[in-house]
Amino acid sequence: MRRQVPLILCFLFGIVMMLVEFSPHPVSEGLRAEVIEWDLIIGPFALVIGVVTLVHTHWIRIRRRVEHWQYSYLVFIGMIVMVAFGLPMGPKNGGNELPKWLEWFKWFKGPENEVFVWFFDNVQVPMEATMFSLLAFFIASASYRAFRARTLEATLLLAAAVIVMIGNAPIGDVLWNELSPVGENIPSTARQWILDNPNLSSRRGIILGVSLGVISQSIRIIFGIERSYLGGGD
Amino acid sequence: MLEKLMSIDRRIVFILVAIAVIIPTLLNVRFPITVSQPTRSVYDFIDELPPDSTILMAFDYGPSSLAELEPMAAAVLRHCFSKNVRVIGMTLLNVGARLGDRVMSQTSAEMGAVDGEDYVFLGFRPGGISVILGMGTAIDSVFSADYRGKPLSEIPMMQDVKNYDHIALVLDLASSGTPSTWIAYINTKYKQQVAAGVTGVMVSELYPFIQSGQLVGLMPGLLGAAEYETLIDTPEKATAGMSVQSFVHLLIFVLVVVGNVAFFIQRRRAQ
Repeated sequence: MRRQVPLILCFLFGIVMMLVEFSPHPVSEGLRAEVIEWDLIIGPFALVIGVVTLVHTHWIRIRRRVEHWQYSYLVFIGMIVMVAFGLPMGPKNGGNELPKWLEWFKWFKGPENEVFVWFFDNVQVPMEATMFSLLAFFIASASYRAFRARTLEATLLLAAAVIVMIGNAPIGDVLWNELSPVGENIPSTARQWILDNPNLSSRRGIILGVSLGVISQSIRIIFGIERSYLGGGD
Repeated sequence: MLEKLMSIDRRIVFILVAIAVIIPTLLNVRFPITVSQPTRSVYDFIDELPPDSTILMAFDYGPSSLAELEPMAAAVLRHCFSKNVRVIGMTLLNVGARLGDRVMSQTSAEMGAVDGEDYVFLGFRPGGISVILGMGTAIDSVFSADYRGKPLSEIPMMQDVKNYDHIALVLDLASSGTPSTWIAYINTKYKQQVAAGVTGVMVSELYPFIQSGQLVGLMPGLLGAAEYETLIDTPEKATAGMSVQSFVHLLIFVLVVVGNVAFFIQRRRAQ
């Protein structure tokens, strides 16, 4: 029974929602709007599951003293601090409707919540931006090592990558226009041609392949053939 | 010697990259930007909108993509405010809420746009596809209030904007797969015009949607932001950033050429 009920629900909602998508009738439109409302309510529960999983994972890491377990404390500190200051700035922005005894504390005022904003602007933003910036260094090093014209395929990849890279940077056109007697802005034109033609064709093939895969997987799930989402490896 | 040229220590590469970033930044070098057609299409679409039209901007990016997408958002907002095109901001990512609010507040202050009349920021709602579809029925069924808690019914510019029927363009500024979700659910179902501004690494995967007409235009990463700044004749962060990026690209080009020349000489000798 524990397995049959989810399978029946999945089948019913899968078939009904698929039919609703193709029908402009007011009844089906109303049904669709209603189900979207349900989905909007269910959505935030995923957040709760995410938090519970995160806490559980890091609690286990600390208890078992796995390698670098000390960093798990940082996860808890970060989460507690941000939740403590962030909760008053919830989705309803109810910070403006706080009880009077909290109003003196101006930090708890909706999006103006200064501590929350300060942590976000001065901790989270620089940290994430720094992590991403490091990619420039690693990509430079990796390109230098990986782009070797060893085979015909590798040479084609190398040529396309170099053209797109130089065409993407304004200095490509500047140097070409200064040094070459032939044509203007050839690097950026060549880059655009690569994106518009070989790239577009191959991407379309990938999108079609992925879409067919998604359709077949959806049919398997709707008809209960694919049941891994129920857990238990069945 | 050839061996050394083929395997330069990565720490030396890192130092060269740092120099290629720092020196042009200090010297404030600027290069002219050539505008690509996909970016021009976004610009032309917004430029041709009549005053008091409304566009929706989705700030679907986080701090890691801030450097590429925030200058893009600022450039488009400047263009909209200068043309009296009204802007509704929102995000499908929780981290995008503060970033969207920040860029809208800063740009509106700079351009003299008024909150609630020229723009409104709705913030974040969880749900993804449900949020996108819900706004097709009624925006206030998903966002009952703006980011600062003001009910939509009390916001002047939202009096005549109820759903996608009253929005001329949805522009998704994204660092993940959200543009294809917007296209699949609102272009197909509501015939809503959609444009996108994405990080450099995502650009290639969206080209099929330009050719099929499902995307009005596409702004490619920092280059797209610099192109838009060129189009509105306001060179800012993106234009400066692209000049710096030029030197790094040139450095990588030189390193790749050096590595390959050394590789070919060594292979010929071995033969």
